[in-house]
Amino acid sequence: MTTNLDSEKIAQLLTQSSRQLDSTTLSALADARKNALNRQTVRATTAVLSTGRWTHILIPHSGRQWLVTGMLVAILVFATGYWQHALEQQISEIDVAILTDEMPIEVFVD
Amino acid sequence: MNHNFIFVKINFVLTRIFLTGIVLFLFLVSSAVRAAPEPWKSLSPAHQEALAPLKQQWDGLPEVQQHRLLKTAKRYPSLTREQKQRFQERLTIWSKLTPEQREAAREKYQAFKKVPADTREEVKQMVRQEQENKAKQTTDTDPEDEQ
Repeated sequence: MTTNLDSEKIAQLLTQSSRQLDSTTLSALADARKNALNRQTVRATTAVLSTGRWTHILIPHSGRQWLVTGMLVAILVFATGYWQHALEQQISEIDVAILTDEMPIEVFVD
Repeated sequence: MNHNFIFVKINFVLTRIFLTGIVLFLFLVSSAVRAAPEPWKSLSPAHQEALAPLKQQWDGLPEVQQHRLLKTAKRYPSLTREQKQRFQERLTIWSKLTPEQREAAREKYQAFKKVPADTREEVKQMVRQEQENKAKQTTDTDPEDEQ
C-alpha cells in the first residue's frame, strides 16, 4: 500500500488533509508547533552556555576573585614550602642516623 | 552554533593557560626558595669541619646533594666523639652513592628501625661478630693477597 507513495505525495496528502481540518484544530496545531519550536531553541542555547560557564568559573573576573585566587596560590606556595622543608628535615635526620649508627653503612647500602 | 563552539574552545584554552600559569608560578617560586650552589670556600668553619672528607670533591657535587649534606652537617656539633668519627669515615662512601642508592638505604634504615628491639639487637650482635671475624681474617692474611 505504501509502495506507490514517495515523500512529495505524502506531503501533498498531508496538505490536502490539513485543508479539511477545521480552523480550531488548525490553530491548535499551529500553537503546538510554535511551542515545540520555542522549546527546542531554548534547549539548544542552554547547552552551549552551560559548557561556556563551566570553563568561565575557573578564570577570575573581578578584583575580589583575583584576591581570593592570589590568597589560594599564596597558601599553596606556603604549604608546598613547609612540606618540602619538613621532608628535607626528615631526610637529613635519617642521613645522620645512617652515618652515625652502630650498624655499618654496608648493611643499608646495596 | 559555530561561533558558540569557537567561543567555548577559546575559553577552554584560556583556562588551560591560566592553570598552567599557576603551576609554573608555583614551580618557579619553589625553585627560587632553593638556595644556589655553595662553593667550599663560602662554607662556615663548622660546616667545613664536619664535611672535611669531602673538601676535594665538594664543588663538583650536585646542588641538591650539597644542601642535604649541609643540613646533615648542622647536626654534627651535637654528636658524640664516636659518632663524629663514624660520620666522617662514612661521608665519602655516602657521597659517592647514587641518589637511588641513598634513597634505598634510607628506606632500609627506616624498615630496620621498625623491627622489634630484641630482634634488632640480635642482628646487631651478628653484624658485630661478622666484623670481628673479618678484622681477624684481615690481620691473619697478607695485605698484598687482598689486592
